Amino acid sequence: MRARYPDHTGRVVRDDISIAYEVYENGGPTIVLLPTWSLFHSRHWKAQIPYLARHFRVVTYDGRGNGQSDRPVDPDAYASQILIADAMAVLDATFTETAFVAGVSMGGSLAAMLAGLYPERVLGAVLIGTSTWLGNETPERNSAAFETRLDRYDGWDKYNMHYWQSNYRDFTEFFVDRIFSEPHSTKQWEDGVGWANETTGEVLVATQLKETLDENREREVLASIRCPVLVIHGTGDRIKHYSAAEKLAAITGGTLLLIEGGGHCPQGRDPVVVNRAIHNFVELNAPRQEILK
Amino acid sequence: MRARYPDFSGFVDRDGVKVAYDVFGEGATTLLLIPPSPITHSRSWKGQIHHLSQHHRVVTFDGRGNGRSDRPGSAREYTPAEMMEDMVAILDQAEVEKAVLVSHCHAAWWAFLTAATFPERVSGIVAISPGIPFVGDPNQHWTEVAARWKEDPVDPQGWEMCNPAFWRRDGYEDWIRFWFDLLATEPHSTKQVQDMVGWALETDPETMAMANDEETKGATPELADRLCRSVHCPVLVLHGFQDLCQMPGRGRAVAELTGGQFVLIEGTGHLVAGREPVIVNRQISAFVSSIEGRAMKSRTWSRGLSRRRKGLYVSSPIGLGHARRDIAIANELQVLDPDLHIDWLAQPPVKSVLESEGHTIHPASKWLASESAHWASEATGHELNAFQALRRMDEILVANFMIFQEVVDEGNYDLVLSDEAWDIDHFGHENPELKRGSHVWMTDFVGFVPMPDGGEQEAFLTSDYNAEMVEHVARYPRIRDRSVFVGNSADIVPDSLGPGLPSISEWTNEHFNFSGYITGFVPPSADEAAEMRQQFGYEDGQQICLVTVGGSGVGRSLLERVVDAFPYAHKELPDLRMIVVTGPLIEPESLVVPEGVEVVGYLNRLHRHLSACDLAVVQGGLTTTMELTAARRPFLYFPLRNHFEQNRHVRYRLERYQAGRCMQFHESTAEDIALAMVTELSRPIDYLPVETDGARRAAGLISELF
Repeated sequence: MRARYPDHTGRVVRDDISIAYEVYENGGPTIVLLPTWSLFHSRHWKAQIPYLARHFRVVTYDGRGNGQSDRPVDPDAYASQILIADAMAVLDATFTETAFVAGVSMGGSLAAMLAGLYPERVLGAVLIGTSTWLGNETPERNSAAFETRLDRYDGWDKYNMHYWQSNYRDFTEFFVDRIFSEPHSTKQWEDGVGWANETTGEVLVATQLKETLDENREREVLASIRCPVLVIHGTGDRIKHYSAAEKLAAITGGTLLLIEGGGHCPQGRDPVVVNRAIHNFVELNAPRQEILK
Repeated sequence: MRARYPDFSGFVDRDGVKVAYDVFGEGATTLLLIPPSPITHSRSWKGQIHHLSQHHRVVTFDGRGNGRSDRPGSAREYTPAEMMEDMVAILDQAEVEKAVLVSHCHAAWWAFLTAATFPERVSGIVAISPGIPFVGDPNQHWTEVAARWKEDPVDPQGWEMCNPAFWRRDGYEDWIRFWFDLLATEPHSTKQVQDMVGWALETDPETMAMANDEETKGATPELADRLCRSVHCPVLVLHGFQDLCQMPGRGRAVAELTGGQFVLIEGTGHLVAGREPVIVNRQISAFVSSIEGRAMKSRTWSRGLSRRRKGLYVSSPIGLGHARRDIAIANELQVLDPDLHIDWLAQPPVKSVLESEGHTIHPASKWLASESAHWASEATGHELNAFQALRRMDEILVANFMIFQEVVDEGNYDLVLSDEAWDIDHFGHENPELKRGSHVWMTDFVGFVPMPDGGEQEAFLTSDYNAEMVEHVARYPRIRDRSVFVGNSADIVPDSLGPGLPSISEWTNEHFNFSGYITGFVPPSADEAAEMRQQFGYEDGQQICLVTVGGSGVGRSLLERVVDAFPYAHKELPDLRMIVVTGPLIEPESLVVPEGVEVVGYLNRLHRHLSACDLAVVQGGLTTTMELTAARRPFLYFPLRNHFEQNRHVRYRLERYQAGRCMQFHESTAEDIALAMVTELSRPIDYLPVETDGARRAAGLISELF
């Protein structure tokens, strides 16, 4: 049972890949809760949707590779520009002229790209636990190369395509444990491992072998962002060190909300503070007539 | 004493009429606070100025006809246009390009007129109980007053007293008193009424009559409607639901016509800014923030379980009295929970004691308005009416509560410890939705008791204050999570809280836990005292008499008289050696003393000297007298005249302990004092013992909360 069900759902199909979206209708501005890495799907926003939908119109979709969307196994199908185009296709399909966008981890970088590349469509961006080239690596992430075949896969060495192909579930248990680094996160861990196992190691390998946005181009796009930005990051993030968030806020001129003791997915583990921050951010930055409506 | 004095005061002079204005603070936004003159003047904003000037530049003025401004003698000098020109002249002279206008009552008309005429000078309007004529609900009383305005009524009653002919026949004060009593619809508004009546009586009936005619001259229903619609800046309307001057429907209509925000304050009447300063201040602040910019501030939020346990200790800042016991309690709390971190919100002189012992002072402490200075300013000679001084501290209490609230809003405190921090307790009950951490209330006395000099009026006022406290606690038991009486049940005076109220003892026993007394130190044994005497240079055979008046600067007259007693006492006691400690606020050199008397400004750890002396002469404060009681030293104490706590609560407690000799300064000559010194020195000490585990017991009571 969900706390809130969508008012309508639909699909956009691009190059035979079908993307499933959900719309929670309301007056006021739209906020698009973007997909993250295909490890999870749109349910990772489950603690945000009911609250935000009371105040705004909310659109979510499952990124290709998980949830109700198709799961191509060709790396080319996960290229950055394709993921960006998926987002724009969902905006069009849901008649969303302008919107706030929010994303977690890889979803954060997707949100930032949309904000930089489509200033006429994006009113503001919420970037949570965002993965970018910026900032320091977390000290623990010094694993062997992704494509190297190893005899043993301990700790971060499990971040390896060969391991995913043979021991995908074990990888997801390890990785989701690192995502929810806060004590007493058993429910979030179970949810995360569950979502992760709705897709396969093969799909995830494809998402990693795609062409990635190069560092300079990324920096250029980030620096071009003109809309309001809210950066949220846990100081205990074991996937992406929070120094990235400080740099991200500096480059985009954004506001930084640091969550002391928070991990990589604060929207799941600290939903109240994240919900209130997003609400406040949208209220402050929504065009006046949108709020009056 | 005020909470905040202006950084600059000046006059504008327009056609020979001088209007006084004040400027406070700095900030990107300027607020112009407009009093509805001439019935009142700039002091009616006293609950707002300190808080708003922390964040913004604040300009206020006395409208022509009251305060320090001229009272021109013809009606045409009080027109709305003149008021508007005065305000613009003030903005010009103070070099304010644009301001948020904050108005009360009919001053809204002048604010709206200014915004419509000079839109480039006005960035927003806060209209409190706006008196925009013809808009919304009319007040039938005003309609009738206008109809009778030119009549000369015989023996007018109530609203009929609002009549110039009656005012000129000495009726003005009757009207003013009736009027403000009526407007103060909230119970326990004695101080606000007294303030408003006082300011209204600073003008005269002639001026009032003239200005009243002009207030909103030229207004028609069409003009009022057009004026409201022509205001394009953001508007906030605050209105009391029980307002008997401007109907709340008027405020709502003004907000609708201007596209503004309407905040209705339930339970309050026309004197919103004075009676509900906290909500008014917070509303104005939020309004200004919304105009200034829509940026969010970067911040860190700590996960609940990641936070260190934190307490905020607010020690009563009046004198040094409670510093020792509060430090002792804090130390015991840290024994119980070594991870507990305590910040102190503290003022001088307590602040310096805390700092010297390595405690953490919250940086916002520097913004606190001085309560110590206020108490010093309230004393004359050996007299201080503590109840009236506390009442007159109202604006300082609001100012300091606003700072406290900002600190707890940001600070994630689990626990607030307030040792007679009246601001926190009073406004905490008045604004219960603002509570953050658990709140521990500590005090060593309960109940205001009247002094005979104050007569019936003071008896009425003290019981009104007590009634408000009783109602606060009854309605919001959740505000004080723990109430600790520093003392024992037997210390409570056998008095009543007032007519229809419980006895102090009954009420206190019901609502407080008792920690026993807390001196903050263990009295020395005989051997230790002998060692200390040697260390202090008290020679064998000398009889050391210490004379001290604490750190408040109140008490020069006592020092002088005790010094005069020395020669008389010395005749009887040749080994007598008198040491006078003047404290930080009295220059030791300024005291003329006979031979044999030594004067020092300061003694480190005075309580150690007191516990090793042969005789002490002190004021009637609880801390010092109980230190002497605990150390079992003979002493004379002189309660400050009209100080209810010293004359009633402290004296009652000391008599229970059979400690010291109470003397009245105004009835005691130098010879009397000398005789008492001789007598006390030979009296056997049979004081009841003072417990030494009070701080531990208090900490135990507090720690149950975490």
